[in-house]
Amino acid sequence: MQSAEENVVIYANPERCLSCHSCEVACAVAHADKEDLITAVSDGLQLYPRNHVVMADGVTMPIQCRQCEDAPCTFACPTGACTRADGRVRIVERDCIGCGQCVIMCPFGAIAVHGVAKKCDLCVDWRARNGKAESACAEACPTNAIRFVNLKAYRQAQLEARARELAQSHRHMRIPL
Amino acid sequence: MNTLTSSDPGVLELLPIAKSSGIETVFDRAKAQQPQCGFGTLGLCCRTCWKGPCRIDPFGEGPQYGVCGADADTIVARQLARMMAGGAAAHSEHGRHIALALLGISKGELPDYQIRDEAKLVAIASRLGISTENRSMLDIVRDVATVSLEDFQCQDHDKTCNWLKATLSEKRVRRLKPLGVVPHNIDATIAQTMARTHVGCDADASNIMLGGIRAALADFDGMALATELSDALFGTPTPAVTAANLGVIKPNAVNVAVTGHNPLLSEVVCDVAKQLNAEAVQAGARDGINIIGICCTGNELMVRHGIPLAANYLSQEMAIMTGALDVMVVDVQCIMPSLPRIAACFHTQVVTTMDENKMTGATHVSFHEKHAAEAAREIIRIAIKAYGHRDPRAIHIPDRKTTAIVGFGAESVLDALAKVDAADPLRPLVDNIRSGNIQGIALFCGCNNTRTQQDESFVRIAKKLAGDNVLLLATGCGAGAFAKHGLMTQQATEQYAGEGLKSVLTAIGTAAGLGGPLPLVLHMGSCVDNSRAVTVATALAKKLDVDLNELPLVASAPEAMSEKAVAIGTWSVALGIPTHLGTVPQAMGSPNVIRLLTQDAKDIFGGYFLVESNPDAAAEKLFAVIREKRSLLGI
Repeated sequence: MQSAEENVVIYANPERCLSCHSCEVACAVAHADKEDLITAVSDGLQLYPRNHVVMADGVTMPIQCRQCEDAPCTFACPTGACTRADGRVRIVERDCIGCGQCVIMCPFGAIAVHGVAKKCDLCVDWRARNGKAESACAEACPTNAIRFVNLKAYRQAQLEARARELAQSHRHMRIPL
Repeated sequence: MNTLTSSDPGVLELLPIAKSSGIETVFDRAKAQQPQCGFGTLGLCCRTCWKGPCRIDPFGEGPQYGVCGADADTIVARQLARMMAGGAAAHSEHGRHIALALLGISKGELPDYQIRDEAKLVAIASRLGISTENRSMLDIVRDVATVSLEDFQCQDHDKTCNWLKATLSEKRVRRLKPLGVVPHNIDATIAQTMARTHVGCDADASNIMLGGIRAALADFDGMALATELSDALFGTPTPAVTAANLGVIKPNAVNVAVTGHNPLLSEVVCDVAKQLNAEAVQAGARDGINIIGICCTGNELMVRHGIPLAANYLSQEMAIMTGALDVMVVDVQCIMPSLPRIAACFHTQVVTTMDENKMTGATHVSFHEKHAAEAAREIIRIAIKAYGHRDPRAIHIPDRKTTAIVGFGAESVLDALAKVDAADPLRPLVDNIRSGNIQGIALFCGCNNTRTQQDESFVRIAKKLAGDNVLLLATGCGAGAFAKHGLMTQQATEQYAGEGLKSVLTAIGTAAGLGGPLPLVLHMGSCVDNSRAVTVATALAKKLDVDLNELPLVASAPEAMSEKAVAIGTWSVALGIPTHLGTVPQAMGSPNVIRLLTQDAKDIFGGYFLVESNPDAAAEKLFAVIREKRSLLGI
């Protein structure tokens, strides 16, 4: 059945990314028990970011889970830990056995196994705890390269922008059709 | 997310006006910088060479070594040591400037300067081993300048800087010497610190830190000589009653703010202002010329001459926001580059004076000691002219002004004590520390920092420690905070001091003719004047035949920010003083360096850093240290 909610995705603009890795640090800390960089480091916590800043062909941008609608990872998961729910792909870490099937299946390389499989959860818990609208990586990005994008709103904005352009060009149309 | 501003009522009154006028202040800029880079915060971003920037992953998954092979410890230690060298450079440039002025006076080249405190000069000479009997004052001045300048010129690596030897106890120097941290030459030590932290040199974090500590002790040497020579030139601080906060700006006067650090400029500005007062009155300023201090220049003038203080570091922009500041004349250090931008919204003229410290958008009046009065006259006339361009609608001077009793250098503290016991001035202090009336001594120093609410930590920690009967000393922007918040008053002593402390402050204050207690916090001067506190502590330690680290003495820099503060904090630790930092240093990425500074240092130096950003917890920890020291002394 088609899910009622459409995907929210994290969009990164490679033209703005300066590869400072601040999003990785913010992501790792947002998923720690103590959400404070200094405390996490002084306590020697082993933390993992769920995004990775990648450089290829001269462009740099962070890559993380795209929250695919037809997500291959969910089909590969033998325990049912990885499922689609609430407009995103969710891994219930308690049910994960760390087999790495999802890692192999993910076309973006956005999942890593550290004991259990970990990937971007759109900061759902972190946002709820801290009353934030955007994810930790988006908040941490000093150049606003990372945006939290609602695809429905994004598509609507695209439709309106193109409609405006077309309407403008109609005004200059010389040949009646 | 950092959205803290200030606890200063004058600042809080002006911030909404800045906002509605679209004027960006330091607090807006701090907010706009959030969140700040995690790697930089931890000290894990290395920019020492152009193979970088290299970042070490603090969580262990990513890279653990920079391209050159440096690990987190090396990277953090190198950066800290370079900050210490930066601080030492700043303080000792200030010191060199004063020493060179002294040399110029001895040659009769500087008519605008005199030795105003000859007794202090003679005392300095005898401390430095210079004979004074049957010699002309100018001969003594020349020798004092020459011996001081040797601390910038000595090439014998094993020698000890003259001023360190003259200021510290033999016990302390004996403890430091074998560690290789005692500088022979300030400039050489700074250069060596820069050299050893160049790519591919010293990579052992402990060894780098020892180099940094040597630079920090060079910082101490430079500031000790700066303070003492300035006293001889401009007068040793004596107690005076004055006022603090933005309300010291007068609506009907030509207001001239002096800010920065070096008294060579501000003292002459004060002299010339007196001469040109009639011109200001003629220009319509009924109350003539009103000199006000900001930051440490303000502190220097405040403790020597009782000049009122308008602001400390974080509220320097607010002085312009009053719309009634005619000139802001600056020299060196801690001057916000934003000043000309804010001044452009008003009639205020920002005047830079040092050829190596200019700001885009400011007017530059080149200041040199040989023509000091001439430059000062030009500056005062710029102010008088600007006064005529004021916009009455833009004037908003907060009615915030507190009394401050200031001017407690080592000499005036000992003088006040001598009023209780002329034969043995230190005895009343020793007796009261023994009896527990005074539990210990805390020196507050250091800056303001946007990472904490302006002044708030100073005030909270001080009130708590005063209640615990701890004698409080302050310098720099910390002293500015206490002056503005009314803690340098007799009322504050009545209100916040514990019974024991109150009785001691009252006895000394009454004997010294203040008609009541000494103020709750004793203002010792600018940040370069921290050596004054060391002088008092060293005298006390000698009296008790102990080393500094055995005294119930702590230091606290709750809002430390600058490289100078890093250097001061570090020499404080090296001298044996447990030193609180309210700002988490950009070093947490190296647990080994942090352990060295907060734990191992205790065995090596007796002093150590205590990092605590919560002011209430910091007060408790500082008092626990004082209790521990007391019990070790058996009192």
